[in-house]
Amino acid sequence: MARKVTFDLEDEEFFGERASIGSPKFDKMMKGGIPRGFTILCIGEPGGGMDLFMKQFTSVAEDPENTILISTAESQNEILQVFRRFEWPLDLKVRTIGEEYNEKVLEKDLEASRFRLEGFSMQDIQRLAQTRFVEEDNTDYLTSLASQITSLGPFFRCAVDNLDFFFQRNESHRVISMLRVMQAHTQLNRGVLLISASSGSVAENIQRELALICDIVFDFEVKMIANTFETRMIVRKFRNAPENLRVYTYRVTDEEGITPETVDRVA
Amino acid sequence: MLYSNELLAEVGRWVFVSMLGTPQYTRDRCITGIHGLDEITRGGIPYGATVLVGGTCGSGKTTLTMEFLVHGAQMGEACAYFAATEPSVKLLENIRQYTFFDMEMVDKGLINVFDMDVVYSWLGLTKATFDRDDINSLVKAITDIVNTIGVTRLVIDSVTTLCYKIPNDQLIRDFLFTLGKTLATQGCTSFLVAEITSAGAKAHWSSFGVEEAILDGIMVLGDIDRMGHLLRFLQVVKMRGTDHSRAKYAIELTPMGVMMTPMLKWGVDSD
Repeated sequence: MARKVTFDLEDEEFFGERASIGSPKFDKMMKGGIPRGFTILCIGEPGGGMDLFMKQFTSVAEDPENTILISTAESQNEILQVFRRFEWPLDLKVRTIGEEYNEKVLEKDLEASRFRLEGFSMQDIQRLAQTRFVEEDNTDYLTSLASQITSLGPFFRCAVDNLDFFFQRNESHRVISMLRVMQAHTQLNRGVLLISASSGSVAENIQRELALICDIVFDFEVKMIANTFETRMIVRKFRNAPENLRVYTYRVTDEEGITPETVDRVA
Repeated sequence: MLYSNELLAEVGRWVFVSMLGTPQYTRDRCITGIHGLDEITRGGIPYGATVLVGGTCGSGKTTLTMEFLVHGAQMGEACAYFAATEPSVKLLENIRQYTFFDMEMVDKGLINVFDMDVVYSWLGLTKATFDRDDINSLVKAITDIVNTIGVTRLVIDSVTTLCYKIPNDQLIRDFLFTLGKTLATQGCTSFLVAEITSAGAKAHWSSFGVEEAILDGIMVLGDIDRMGHLLRFLQVVKMRGTDHSRAKYAIELTPMGVMMTPMLKWGVDSD
Protein backbone atom coordinates (compact mmCIF):
# COMPACT_ATOMS: atom_id res chain seq x y z
CA MET A 1 0.00 0.00 0.00
CA ALA A 2 1.36 3.40 -0.97
CA ARG A 3 2.50 5.68 1.83
CA LYS A 4 0.35 8.74 2.35
CA VAL A 5 1.65 12.16 3.24
CA THR A 6 -0.71 14.61 4.82
CA PHE A 7 -0.21 18.25 3.96
CA ASP A 8 -1.04 21.17 6.14
CA LEU A 9 -3.65 23.40 4.47
CA GLU A 10 -1.72 26.53 5.32
CA ASP A 11 1.42 25.01 3.81
CA GLU A 12 -0.46 24.08 0.66
CA GLU A 13 -1.60 27.65 0.33
CA PHE A 14 1.86 29.05 1.07
CA PHE A 15 3.82 26.82 -1.27
CA GLY A 16 1.21 26.68 -4.04
CA GLU A 17 1.04 24.34 -7.00
CA ARG A 18 4.22 25.52 -8.65
CA ALA A 19 7.72 26.30 -7.46
CA SER A 20 10.20 28.85 -8.74
CA ILE A 21 13.08 27.54 -10.83
CA GLY A 22 15.26 30.33 -9.50
CA SER A 23 14.73 33.04 -12.12
CA PRO A 24 11.52 35.09 -12.31
CA LYS A 25 11.83 35.35 -16.10
CA PHE A 26 12.18 31.59 -16.53
CA ASP A 27 9.24 31.08 -14.15
CA LYS A 28 7.09 33.42 -16.24
CA MET A 29 7.98 31.59 -19.44
CA MET A 30 7.10 28.29 -17.78
CA LYS A 31 3.70 29.58 -16.71
CA GLY A 32 4.51 30.20 -13.09
CA GLY A 33 7.44 27.87 -12.51
CA ILE A 34 7.69 24.10 -12.26
CA PRO A 35 4.96 21.89 -10.84
CA ARG A 36 5.61 20.70 -7.29
CA GLY A 37 6.57 17.03 -7.07
CA PHE A 38 8.79 17.26 -10.15
CA THR A 39 12.34 15.99 -10.52
CA ILE A 40 14.37 18.03 -12.98
CA LEU A 41 17.48 16.82 -14.75
CA CYS A 42 20.08 19.31 -15.99
CA ILE A 43 22.50 17.78 -18.42
CA GLY A 44 25.34 19.49 -20.22
CA GLU A 45 28.97 20.18 -20.72
CA PRO A 46 31.02 21.89 -18.03
CA GLY A 47 31.26 25.64 -18.45
CA GLY A 48 27.67 26.11 -19.50
CA GLY A 49 26.58 27.63 -16.21
CA MET A 50 24.82 24.52 -14.98
CA ASP A 51 26.51 24.67 -11.55
CA LEU A 52 25.41 28.30 -11.13
CA PHE A 53 21.88 27.36 -12.15
CA MET A 54 21.81 24.69 -9.39
CA LYS A 55 22.80 27.27 -6.76
CA GLN A 56 20.31 29.79 -8.10
CA PHE A 57 17.59 27.16 -7.79
CA THR A 58 18.26 26.81 -4.05
CA SER A 59 18.63 30.57 -3.55
CA VAL A 60 14.86 31.03 -3.85
CA ALA A 61 14.16 28.72 -0.92
CA GLU A 62 10.66 29.19 0.48
CA ASP A 63 11.64 27.27 3.61
CA PRO A 64 15.45 27.34 4.12
CA GLU A 65 15.20 24.66 6.82
CA ASN A 66 13.76 22.31 4.24
CA THR A 67 16.15 23.28 1.43
CA ILE A 68 19.50 21.71 0.72
CA LEU A 69 22.23 22.12 -1.86
CA ILE A 70 24.37 19.02 -2.23
CA SER A 71 27.62 19.58 -4.12
CA THR A 72 30.11 16.92 -5.10
CA ALA A 73 32.72 19.20 -6.62
CA GLU A 74 32.83 22.48 -4.72
CA SER A 75 33.82 23.37 -1.19
CA GLN A 76 31.61 25.19 1.33
CA ASN A 77 33.81 28.24 0.88
CA GLU A 78 33.47 28.30 -2.91
CA ILE A 79 29.69 27.99 -2.67
CA LEU A 80 29.56 30.73 -0.06
CA GLN A 81 31.51 33.07 -2.32
CA VAL A 82 29.04 32.56 -5.18
CA PHE A 83 26.07 33.20 -2.88
CA ARG A 84 27.74 36.38 -1.59
CA ARG A 85 28.54 37.57 -5.12
CA PHE A 86 24.87 37.41 -6.13
CA GLU A 87 23.65 38.49 -2.67
CA TRP A 88 21.55 35.39 -2.27
CA PRO A 89 20.37 34.40 1.24
CA LEU A 90 22.89 32.30 3.14
CA ASP A 91 20.49 30.46 5.42
CA LEU A 92 20.03 27.25 3.42
CA LYS A 93 21.73 23.94 4.20
CA VAL A 94 24.76 22.96 2.14
CA ARG A 95 26.43 19.56 2.03
CA THR A 96 29.73 19.18 0.20
CA ILE A 97 30.19 15.48 -0.49
CA GLY A 98 33.33 16.17 -2.53
CA GLU A 99 34.95 17.74 0.52
CA GLU A 100 33.88 14.84 2.74
CA TYR A 101 35.40 12.41 0.25
CA ASN A 102 38.62 14.42 0.04
CA GLU A 103 38.95 14.45 3.81
CA LYS A 104 38.47 10.71 4.12
CA VAL A 105 40.13 9.31 1.03
CA LEU A 106 42.50 11.84 -0.47
CA GLU A 107 44.02 12.86 2.87
CA LYS A 108 44.73 9.20 3.50
CA ASP A 109 46.47 9.00 0.10
CA LEU A 110 48.49 12.08 0.96
CA GLU A 111 49.54 10.58 4.28
CA ALA A 112 50.55 7.35 2.50
CA SER A 113 52.73 9.38 0.12
CA ARG A 114 54.34 11.08 3.10
CA PHE A 115 55.08 7.73 4.76
CA ARG A 116 56.53 6.38 1.54
CA LEU A 117 58.69 9.42 0.97
CA GLU A 118 59.75 10.44 4.47
CA GLY A 119 59.31 7.19 6.38
CA PHE A 120 57.79 6.60 9.80
CA SER A 121 58.55 8.78 12.81
CA MET A 122 58.73 7.35 16.34
CA GLN A 123 55.15 8.52 17.01
CA ASP A 124 53.98 6.92 13.76
CA ILE A 125 55.61 3.62 14.73
CA GLN A 126 54.05 3.68 18.21
CA ARG A 127 50.65 4.37 16.65
CA LEU A 128 51.22 1.66 14.03
CA ALA A 129 52.14 -0.91 16.70
CA GLN A 130 48.89 -0.14 18.51
CA THR A 131 46.67 -0.20 15.42
CA ARG A 132 45.14 -3.61 15.04
CA PHE A 133 42.64 -3.03 12.25
CA VAL A 134 42.63 -1.24 8.92
CA GLU A 135 40.41 1.80 9.00
CA GLU A 136 38.43 1.35 5.83
CA ASP A 137 36.34 4.07 4.35
CA ASN A 138 33.08 2.26 3.87
CA THR A 139 30.99 5.38 3.43
CA ASP A 140 28.40 4.70 0.80
CA TYR A 141 27.86 8.23 -0.45
CA LEU A 142 25.04 7.18 -2.77
CA THR A 143 22.97 5.61 0.01
CA SER A 144 23.81 8.56 2.22
CA LEU A 145 22.54 10.94 -0.50
CA ALA A 146 19.32 8.99 -1.00
CA SER A 147 18.78 8.77 2.74
CA GLN A 148 19.32 12.51 3.18
CA ILE A 149 16.86 13.40 0.42
CA THR A 150 14.21 10.96 1.57
CA SER A 151 14.40 12.44 5.06
CA LEU A 152 13.30 15.85 3.74
CA GLY A 153 9.73 16.80 4.62
CA PRO A 154 6.83 18.05 2.43
CA PHE A 155 7.49 20.90 -0.03
CA PHE A 156 11.27 20.49 0.19
CA ARG A 157 13.69 21.94 -2.33
CA CYS A 158 16.91 20.12 -3.15
CA ALA A 159 19.68 20.43 -5.73
CA VAL A 160 22.28 17.73 -6.35
CA ASP A 161 25.31 18.99 -8.29
CA ASN A 162 26.15 16.52 -9.77
CA LEU A 163 25.53 12.82 -10.37
CA ASP A 164 28.92 12.20 -12.10
CA PHE A 165 30.53 11.63 -8.70
CA PHE A 166 28.11 8.77 -8.01
CA PHE A 167 28.33 7.27 -11.49
CA GLN A 168 32.12 7.18 -11.17
CA ARG A 169 31.98 5.25 -7.90
CA ASN A 170 28.92 3.03 -8.30
CA GLU A 171 27.32 0.71 -10.80
CA SER A 172 25.02 2.76 -13.06
CA HIS A 173 22.00 0.63 -12.21
CA ARG A 174 22.48 1.45 -8.51
CA VAL A 175 22.51 5.17 -9.18
CA ILE A 176 19.40 4.82 -11.35
CA SER A 177 17.63 2.80 -8.72
CA MET A 178 18.46 5.34 -5.98
CA LEU A 179 17.29 8.11 -8.27
CA ARG A 180 13.93 6.35 -8.63
CA VAL A 181 13.63 6.32 -4.83
CA MET A 182 14.44 10.04 -4.65
CA GLN A 183 12.02 10.82 -7.48
CA ALA A 184 9.22 8.89 -5.76
CA HIS A 185 9.88 10.74 -2.50
CA THR A 186 9.86 14.09 -4.32
CA GLN A 187 6.55 13.29 -5.98
CA LEU A 188 4.97 12.07 -2.77
CA ASN A 189 6.10 15.10 -0.76
CA ARG A 190 5.46 17.69 -3.47
CA GLY A 191 9.09 18.68 -3.28
CA VAL A 192 11.27 19.90 -6.13
CA LEU A 193 14.46 18.05 -6.88
CA LEU A 194 17.03 19.38 -9.31
CA ILE A 195 19.88 17.08 -10.33
CA SER A 196 22.70 17.54 -12.79
CA ALA A 197 24.99 15.29 -14.82
CA SER A 198 27.70 15.96 -17.38
CA SER A 199 26.77 14.84 -20.86
CA GLY A 200 30.18 13.32 -21.56
CA SER A 201 30.50 11.26 -18.40
CA VAL A 202 27.29 9.26 -18.65
CA ALA A 203 26.62 6.70 -21.40
CA GLU A 204 23.78 7.44 -23.82
CA ASN A 205 21.53 4.64 -22.59
CA ILE A 206 21.98 5.89 -19.01
CA GLN A 207 21.15 9.42 -20.13
CA ARG A 208 17.96 8.09 -21.71
CA GLU A 209 17.05 6.27 -18.51
CA LEU A 210 17.70 9.41 -16.47
CA ALA A 211 15.51 11.39 -18.83
CA LEU A 212 12.75 8.79 -18.49
CA ILE A 213 12.73 9.02 -14.70
CA CYS A 214 12.87 12.82 -14.52
CA ASP A 215 9.85 15.01 -15.24
CA ILE A 216 11.78 17.85 -16.85
CA VAL A 217 15.05 17.72 -18.77
CA PHE A 218 17.18 20.81 -19.37
CA ASP A 219 20.13 20.64 -21.75
CA PHE A 220 22.86 23.21 -21.19
CA GLU A 221 24.85 24.08 -24.28
CA VAL A 222 27.70 26.43 -25.09
CA LYS A 223 27.99 27.41 -28.77
CA MET A 224 30.63 29.56 -30.36
CA ILE A 225 29.06 32.08 -32.68
CA ALA A 226 31.55 34.30 -34.51
CA ASN A 227 33.83 35.55 -31.75
CA THR A 228 31.44 35.07 -28.87
CA PHE A 229 29.98 32.23 -26.87
CA GLU A 230 26.25 31.69 -26.75
CA THR A 231 24.85 29.83 -23.79
CA ARG A 232 21.60 27.97 -24.21
CA MET A 233 19.22 26.02 -22.06
CA ILE A 234 17.06 23.65 -24.06
CA VAL A 235 13.91 22.30 -22.44
CA ARG A 236 13.86 18.79 -23.97
CA LYS A 237 11.19 17.27 -21.79
CA PHE A 238 8.37 18.75 -19.75
CA ARG A 239 5.99 16.12 -18.44
CA ASN A 240 2.39 16.75 -19.50
CA ALA A 241 3.29 20.17 -20.94
CA PRO A 242 5.13 19.73 -24.25
CA GLU A 243 4.25 23.30 -25.12
CA ASN A 244 7.04 24.28 -22.73
CA LEU A 245 9.74 22.68 -24.90
CA ARG A 246 11.92 25.59 -25.88
CA VAL A 247 15.42 26.87 -26.42
CA TYR A 248 16.36 29.62 -24.04
CA THR A 249 19.43 31.70 -24.69
CA TYR A 250 20.62 33.02 -21.40
CA ARG A 251 23.24 35.30 -19.92
CA VAL A 252 24.61 35.81 -16.43
CA THR A 253 24.10 39.16 -14.73
CA ASP A 254 25.17 40.24 -11.25
CA GLU A 255 21.60 41.22 -10.44
CA GLU A 256 19.68 38.20 -11.72
CA GLY A 257 22.22 35.41 -12.05
CA ILE A 258 21.21 33.20 -14.97
CA THR A 259 18.45 34.94 -16.89
CA PRO A 260 16.91 34.29 -20.35
CA GLU A 261 17.53 36.65 -23.24
CA THR A 262 15.39 35.49 -26.18
CA VAL A 263 13.07 32.55 -26.69
CA ASP A 264 12.96 30.33 -29.74
CA ARG A 265 10.43 27.60 -30.33
CA VAL A 266 11.83 24.14 -31.04
CA ALA A 267 10.70 23.25 -34.55
CA MET B 1 119.79 -24.84 37.05
CA LEU B 2 116.96 -23.65 39.08
CA TYR B 3 113.77 -22.10 37.60
CA SER B 4 111.36 -19.99 39.50
CA ASN B 5 107.76 -21.16 39.88
CA GLU B 6 106.52 -18.11 37.90
CA LEU B 7 108.70 -18.98 34.95
CA LEU B 8 107.47 -22.59 34.94
CA ALA B 9 103.89 -21.42 35.03
CA GLU B 10 104.47 -19.06 32.07
CA VAL B 11 106.08 -21.82 30.00
CA GLY B 12 103.22 -24.17 30.83
CA ARG B 13 100.69 -21.59 29.69
CA TRP B 14 102.62 -21.10 26.42
CA VAL B 15 102.72 -24.85 25.75
CA PHE B 16 98.94 -25.13 26.40
CA VAL B 17 98.10 -22.21 24.10
CA SER B 18 100.39 -23.64 21.37
CA MET B 19 98.57 -26.97 21.57
CA LEU B 20 95.23 -25.22 20.91
CA GLY B 21 96.57 -23.85 17.60
CA THR B 22 95.79 -20.44 16.03
CA PRO B 23 92.84 -18.76 17.73
CA GLN B 24 89.75 -19.02 15.46
CA TYR B 25 87.52 -16.07 14.60
CA THR B 26 83.97 -16.62 15.79
CA ARG B 27 81.01 -14.36 15.02
CA ASP B 28 78.98 -12.89 17.83
CA ARG B 29 75.86 -14.89 18.44
CA CYS B 30 72.24 -14.12 19.02
CA ILE B 31 71.17 -16.46 21.81
CA THR B 32 67.72 -17.62 20.77
CA GLY B 33 66.92 -18.99 24.23
CA ILE B 34 64.92 -21.77 22.57
CA HIS B 35 65.56 -25.08 24.26
CA GLY B 36 68.17 -27.01 22.27
CA LEU B 37 68.43 -24.59 19.33
CA ASP B 38 71.50 -22.75 20.61
CA GLU B 39 73.25 -26.10 21.11
CA ILE B 40 72.38 -27.15 17.55
CA THR B 41 73.87 -23.92 16.21
CA ARG B 42 76.90 -24.23 18.52
CA GLY B 43 76.11 -21.16 20.58
CA GLY B 44 73.35 -19.32 18.80
CA ILE B 45 72.55 -17.75 15.47
CA PRO B 46 75.17 -15.36 14.07
CA TYR B 47 74.10 -11.78 14.72
CA GLY B 48 72.36 -10.12 11.82
CA ALA B 49 71.55 -13.40 10.08
CA THR B 50 68.30 -13.68 8.15
CA VAL B 51 66.92 -17.15 8.72
CA LEU B 52 64.11 -18.78 6.80
CA VAL B 53 61.85 -20.75 9.13
CA GLY B 54 60.00 -23.02 6.74
CA GLY B 55 57.31 -25.27 8.06
CA THR B 56 54.11 -27.11 7.33
CA CYS B 57 50.87 -25.99 8.93
CA GLY B 58 50.70 -26.60 12.66
CA SER B 59 54.42 -27.40 12.90
CA GLY B 60 55.06 -24.66 15.50
CA LYS B 61 56.53 -21.84 13.37
CA THR B 62 54.61 -19.07 15.11
CA THR B 63 55.28 -20.40 18.62
CA LEU B 64 58.99 -20.88 17.92
CA THR B 65 59.46 -17.44 16.37
CA MET B 66 57.46 -15.71 19.11
CA GLU B 67 59.53 -17.51 21.75
CA PHE B 68 62.65 -16.22 19.98
CA LEU B 69 61.35 -12.67 20.48
CA VAL B 70 60.28 -13.28 24.08
CA HIS B 71 63.82 -14.34 25.04
CA GLY B 72 65.15 -11.22 23.33
CA ALA B 73 62.68 -9.02 25.19
CA GLN B 74 63.67 -10.69 28.48
CA MET B 75 67.24 -9.58 27.77
CA GLY B 76 66.01 -6.02 27.14
CA GLU B 77 66.22 -6.18 23.34
CA ALA B 78 63.66 -4.39 21.15
CA CYS B 79 61.75 -6.89 19.05
CA ALA B 80 59.33 -6.62 16.14
CA TYR B 81 56.76 -9.10 14.87
CA PHE B 82 55.05 -8.51 11.52
CA ALA B 83 51.83 -10.51 11.34
CA ALA B 84 50.87 -11.10 7.72
CA THR B 85 49.02 -14.39 8.00
CA GLU B 86 46.58 -13.74 10.81
CA PRO B 87 45.32 -10.61 12.55
CA SER B 88 47.56 -9.66 15.47
CA VAL B 89 44.56 -9.70 17.82
CA LYS B 90 44.03 -13.38 17.06
CA LEU B 91 47.76 -14.12 17.21
CA LEU B 92 48.13 -12.51 20.66
CA GLU B 93 45.05 -14.31 21.94
CA ASN B 94 46.56 -17.64 20.88
CA ILE B 95 50.09 -16.95 22.09
CA ARG B 96 49.13 -15.61 25.53
CA GLN B 97 48.10 -19.16 26.47
CA TYR B 98 51.80 -20.02 26.69
CA THR B 99 53.39 -19.33 30.05
CA PHE B 100 56.59 -18.08 28.42
CA PHE B 101 54.64 -15.18 26.91
CA ASP B 102 53.82 -12.11 28.92
CA MET B 103 51.41 -9.58 27.43
CA GLU B 104 53.24 -6.86 29.34
CA MET B 105 56.10 -7.19 26.87
CA VAL B 106 53.73 -5.99 24.14
CA ASP B 107 52.20 -3.30 26.34
CA LYS B 108 55.64 -1.98 27.31
CA GLY B 109 56.79 -1.93 23.69
CA LEU B 110 59.49 -4.57 24.07
CA ILE B 111 57.71 -6.76 21.54
CA ASN B 112 56.14 -4.57 18.88
CA VAL B 113 53.48 -6.42 16.94
CA PHE B 114 52.54 -4.94 13.58
CA ASP B 115 49.64 -6.01 11.38
CA MET B 116 50.87 -6.16 7.81
CA ASP B 117 47.39 -5.16 6.59
CA VAL B 118 47.70 -1.96 8.58
CA VAL B 119 51.24 -1.36 7.26
CA TYR B 120 49.98 -1.87 3.68
CA SER B 121 47.09 0.48 4.28
CA TRP B 122 49.29 3.20 5.80
CA LEU B 123 51.65 2.97 2.85
CA GLY B 124 48.77 3.00 0.37
CA LEU B 125 49.67 -0.50 -0.84
CA THR B 126 46.11 -1.52 -1.60
CA LYS B 127 46.74 -3.14 -4.99
CA ALA B 128 46.55 -6.90 -5.40
CA THR B 129 50.15 -7.06 -6.63
CA PHE B 130 53.19 -4.97 -5.74
CA ASP B 131 55.52 -3.31 -8.22
CA ARG B 132 59.15 -2.41 -7.55
CA ASP B 133 58.23 0.95 -6.03
CA ASP B 134 55.81 -0.72 -3.63
CA ILE B 135 58.45 -3.26 -2.62
CA ASN B 136 60.99 -0.51 -2.05
CA SER B 137 58.60 1.42 0.15
CA LEU B 138 57.79 -1.72 2.13
CA VAL B 139 61.49 -2.47 2.71
CA LYS B 140 61.98 1.19 3.67
CA ALA B 141 59.10 1.00 6.16
CA ILE B 142 60.49 -2.14 7.82
CA THR B 143 63.97 -0.60 7.90
CA ASP B 144 62.58 2.61 9.41
CA ILE B 145 60.96 0.63 12.20
CA VAL B 146 64.17 -1.34 12.85
CA ASN B 147 66.27 1.83 12.85
CA THR B 148 63.96 4.02 14.88
CA ILE B 149 63.26 1.65 17.73
CA GLY B 150 66.56 -0.23 17.50
CA VAL B 151 65.07 -3.64 16.74
CA THR B 152 67.57 -6.47 17.15
CA ARG B 153 65.16 -9.37 16.67
CA LEU B 154 62.54 -9.43 13.95
CA VAL B 155 59.99 -11.92 12.68
CA ILE B 156 57.88 -11.73 9.52
CA ASP B 157 55.08 -14.29 9.72
CA SER B 158 54.83 -15.13 6.98
CA VAL B 159 57.04 -13.99 4.17
CA THR B 160 55.08 -16.37 1.93
CA THR B 161 51.87 -14.37 2.34
CA LEU B 162 53.84 -11.22 1.61
CA CYS B 163 55.56 -12.71 -1.44
CA TYR B 164 52.19 -13.77 -2.92
CA LYS B 165 51.72 -10.09 -3.69
CA ILE B 166 54.99 -9.95 -5.61
CA PRO B 167 54.37 -10.98 -9.22
CA ASN B 168 57.65 -12.68 -10.21
CA ASP B 169 60.65 -14.58 -8.86
CA GLN B 170 63.11 -11.83 -9.76
CA LEU B 171 61.20 -9.29 -7.65
CA ILE B 172 60.87 -11.78 -4.77
CA ARG B 173 64.63 -12.40 -4.95
CA ASP B 174 65.35 -8.66 -4.99
CA PHE B 175 62.95 -8.03 -2.12
CA LEU B 176 64.45 -10.73 0.12
CA PHE B 177 68.00 -9.83 -0.80
CA THR B 178 67.51 -6.13 -0.08
CA LEU B 179 65.58 -6.82 3.11
CA GLY B 180 68.16 -9.34 4.37
CA LYS B 181 71.06 -7.02 3.54
CA THR B 182 69.44 -4.02 5.21
CA LEU B 183 68.51 -5.94 8.35
CA ALA B 184 72.01 -7.42 8.58
CA THR B 185 73.51 -3.93 8.30
CA GLN B 186 71.37 -2.88 11.26
CA GLY B 187 72.55 -5.93 13.26
CA CYS B 188 69.02 -7.30 13.36
CA THR B 189 68.64 -11.07 13.52
CA SER B 190 65.53 -12.02 11.59
CA PHE B 191 63.29 -15.03 11.23
CA LEU B 192 61.26 -15.06 8.03
CA VAL B 193 58.51 -17.63 8.27
CA ALA B 194 57.69 -19.59 5.12
CA GLU B 195 54.69 -21.84 4.68
CA ILE B 196 55.55 -25.07 2.94
CA THR B 197 53.31 -28.00 2.10
CA SER B 198 55.83 -30.75 2.74
CA ALA B 199 58.99 -30.96 4.83
CA GLY B 200 60.30 -34.25 3.44
CA ALA B 201 63.66 -34.94 1.84
CA LYS B 202 62.41 -34.12 -1.65
CA ALA B 203 60.58 -31.00 -0.60
CA HIS B 204 61.58 -27.39 -1.14
CA TRP B 205 62.51 -25.54 2.03
CA SER B 206 60.69 -22.46 0.85
CA SER B 207 57.46 -21.57 -0.93
CA PHE B 208 58.91 -19.93 -4.02
CA GLY B 209 62.24 -21.76 -4.28
CA VAL B 210 64.21 -18.51 -4.38
CA GLU B 211 64.31 -17.68 -0.70
CA GLU B 212 66.56 -20.54 0.34
CA ALA B 213 69.53 -19.48 -1.83
CA ILE B 214 69.51 -15.85 -0.70
CA LEU B 215 68.99 -16.12 3.05
CA ASP B 216 71.68 -16.95 5.63
CA GLY B 217 69.98 -19.85 7.29
CA ILE B 218 67.21 -22.36 6.85
CA MET B 219 65.32 -24.08 9.63
CA VAL B 220 62.65 -26.56 8.73
CA LEU B 221 59.77 -27.59 10.91
CA GLY B 222 57.54 -30.45 9.93
CA ASP B 223 55.79 -33.61 11.01
CA ILE B 224 56.79 -37.24 10.88
CA ASP B 225 54.19 -39.95 11.11
CA ARG B 226 55.23 -42.37 13.86
CA MET B 227 52.71 -45.15 14.26
CA GLY B 228 49.78 -42.87 13.57
CA HIS B 229 51.10 -40.08 15.71
CA LEU B 230 52.32 -36.86 14.09
CA LEU B 231 55.64 -36.04 15.66
CA ARG B 232 56.88 -32.48 15.19
CA PHE B 233 60.51 -32.05 14.20
CA LEU B 234 63.03 -29.25 13.65
CA GLN B 235 66.07 -29.41 11.43
CA VAL B 236 68.69 -26.74 10.76
CA VAL B 237 69.50 -27.24 7.09
CA LYS B 238 71.76 -24.25 6.56
CA MET B 239 73.33 -21.63 8.79
CA ARG B 240 76.04 -19.40 7.37
CA GLY B 241 78.76 -18.35 9.80
CA THR B 242 78.54 -21.27 12.20
CA ASP B 243 78.96 -24.98 12.40
CA HIS B 244 75.68 -26.71 13.23
CA SER B 245 73.98 -30.05 13.53
CA ARG B 246 71.93 -31.10 10.50
CA ALA B 247 70.05 -33.78 12.39
CA LYS B 248 66.31 -33.79 12.92
CA TYR B 249 65.18 -33.04 16.46
CA ALA B 250 61.79 -33.88 17.85
CA ILE B 251 60.04 -30.85 19.27
CA GLU B 252 57.14 -30.56 21.64
CA LEU B 253 55.12 -27.37 22.04
CA THR B 254 54.69 -27.15 25.79
CA PRO B 255 53.15 -24.28 27.78
CA MET B 256 56.72 -23.26 28.66
CA GLY B 257 57.68 -23.12 24.99
CA VAL B 258 59.48 -25.37 22.51
CA MET B 259 61.19 -28.44 24.02
CA MET B 260 63.65 -30.33 21.87
CA THR B 261 65.00 -33.88 22.02
CA PRO B 262 67.26 -35.74 19.56
CA MET B 263 65.27 -37.95 17.27
CA LEU B 264 65.85 -41.69 17.37
CA LYS B 265 67.11 -42.96 14.03
CA TRP B 266 64.52 -45.53 13.27
CA GLY B 267 61.67 -45.88 10.87
CA VAL B 268 61.38 -44.35 7.44
CA ASP B 269 60.34 -40.81 6.61
CA SER B 270 56.70 -40.83 5.77
CA ASP B 271 57.17 -38.66 2.71
